[in-house]
Amino acid sequence: MYVELKNLNKRFGNYQAADGVSFSIEKGKLVGLLGPSGSGKTTILRMISGLEQPDSGDIFIDGVRVNDLPAAKRGVGFVFQNYALFRYMTVFDNIAFGLTVQKKDKAFIRARVTELIRLIGLEGLEKRRPHQLSGGQKQRVAFARALAPNPHLLLLDEPFAAIDAKVRKELRSWLRETIGKVGITSVFVTHDQEEAVEVADDIIITNNGRIEQIGSPVDIYRNPKTPFAAQFIGTSIRIPEYWKLHGYEKTPGFEHAVVRPEFVLVSKIEKEQYPVTSKRGVISGIFFRGNAMELNIDVNGLHLTSNQSLDEAAFAVGEEVSVLIYRLYIYNETEVRLVENSSIKSDGTFFI
Amino acid sequence: MKRNGVQLILILLGAAFVFVMLILPLITVMTYALRQGWETFAEAITDDYAVKALKLTGFSTVITLAVNTAFGVFASWAIAKFAFRGKQVLTTLIDIPFSISPIIAGLIFILVFGRIGWAYPLTESLGVKVVFAVPGIVLATIFVTFPFISRELIPLMQAQGNEEEEAAALMGAKGLKIYRRITLPHIKWALLYGVILCTARAMGEFGAVSVVSGHLRGKTNTLPLHVEILFNEYKLTAAFAVSSILVVTAIIIMILRNIVEYKLKKEEG
Repeated sequence: MYVELKNLNKRFGNYQAADGVSFSIEKGKLVGLLGPSGSGKTTILRMISGLEQPDSGDIFIDGVRVNDLPAAKRGVGFVFQNYALFRYMTVFDNIAFGLTVQKKDKAFIRARVTELIRLIGLEGLEKRRPHQLSGGQKQRVAFARALAPNPHLLLLDEPFAAIDAKVRKELRSWLRETIGKVGITSVFVTHDQEEAVEVADDIIITNNGRIEQIGSPVDIYRNPKTPFAAQFIGTSIRIPEYWKLHGYEKTPGFEHAVVRPEFVLVSKIEKEQYPVTSKRGVISGIFFRGNAMELNIDVNGLHLTSNQSLDEAAFAVGEEVSVLIYRLYIYNETEVRLVENSSIKSDGTFFI
Repeated sequence: MKRNGVQLILILLGAAFVFVMLILPLITVMTYALRQGWETFAEAITDDYAVKALKLTGFSTVITLAVNTAFGVFASWAIAKFAFRGKQVLTTLIDIPFSISPIIAGLIFILVFGRIGWAYPLTESLGVKVVFAVPGIVLATIFVTFPFISRELIPLMQAQGNEEEEAAALMGAKGLKIYRRITLPHIKWALLYGVILCTARAMGEFGAVSVVSGHLRGKTNTLPLHVEILFNEYKLTAAFAVSSILVVTAIIIMILRNIVEYKLKKEEG
């Protein structure tokens, strides 16, 4: 394991930012720390970098315990949320800063900075100051600056938070590609699950200073291990008293349930496929989401969401439709289970 | 935009107030100073005691600036960029001179360094006279102008946050280099602004200095004290002539202040 955290604890006054955090990261992986704000993800990142000291616990990078090593000696590159570019220096001087501090010779610095500027595709902008750059360009410069001294580990704090939506998409795939090209082990922090799913090889979900689940995006999406993960990942909607729905029975010890849009099938009344298990609902809202339509459906006071591809039959607000919930996550304080709609199974007609 | 009656009256009222309170006194000082012609004026300001007072004022201002700039820079750096125990107490302590009357400030030094003061035997054994001597004047001036520079810097440095410094530290830069390359360029105009305000206040300080000075002509008399003495001796023209030195420096300082303020705004915007 390349990076290993063992039982890290960190407290700021009354706020437990890290509570027994342990995980490890393989060499060459791009890992996303995903959690709501205040979940301690940035603190974890800052403790790895050495900008923050843990109250207890051990941090290993490449087999070496780095707790007592100053930040500058850990071989870590850090990209700050608001870039933190040196505003009184040019792009060139920003990227060169780490190498200048290391007293590398001029020719070497010039070659390395030129190489990085080519990597980030900002040739010709070397003389610009940070305030003359767009958000995306600043982000790229921050990235190049962190990479310049050849770190073994790259840490990125909310790398896309301050960038507008359109550029963000573009930058995400660029970053993923570039990190792959450079081949550096990287950890990034995000509160945006879409971003984590799209960019990370592995996701670590944090909540209240604790690690909730670690796994590949698909794995976490399919098998959330904790109630928090089940609710946090995907567009999850809580269902009170799930046993009152058709096809579900109360499982002892499981009080709560969530449903995701993809578990909800909406069809026109005349095309209804499972009349026994389906319920009637009314479309309460239709939203265009770019690549899909989001339908909000009201089923006897229960508000559900479903996604509909653009090609499918068009619905209208107020229309009565047939609604089928074919799966649910049920959970209690500690456990999550995926349950299928039992009546479909017994019919033997349902398949995905 | 068309102005109505109320607006016009308010503007006139404002202008009249500014004229009476600020411009008229300045004009009065200058006309009084020159009332008996250039010769009397020149005589008054080249008078031996006046020159000595000017020199003393200059000297104490320079020392005050050096001390308070150094302190202000260090204090603001510590307060804005680091977390430590007692930070709140330090911030409050720095502001004390703002809230204490200068007379009280002067008395504090009398009580500490004067004949009845607890530090008197110590300074006496070192052969240094503090009260009714130059060191006392310098100390009093430093005390009164103590918060000027750090008060300018702290809010600015706090607003700018630590990330750039952290980024530099992560790349191995040491404290002094970080300060010189990252922090100082941020604060240079604010620092200069603080220095200018501090200069203006240090030159004009009367109350605290008056208490510790002892008014020894040619020895412990600063320019503002000299003006008072002349005034009390009914040498009105001389008093106003010497005042005009202070007024002119004040005006120069204010012009400098405006230039710096403009630069500061441009930097921020």
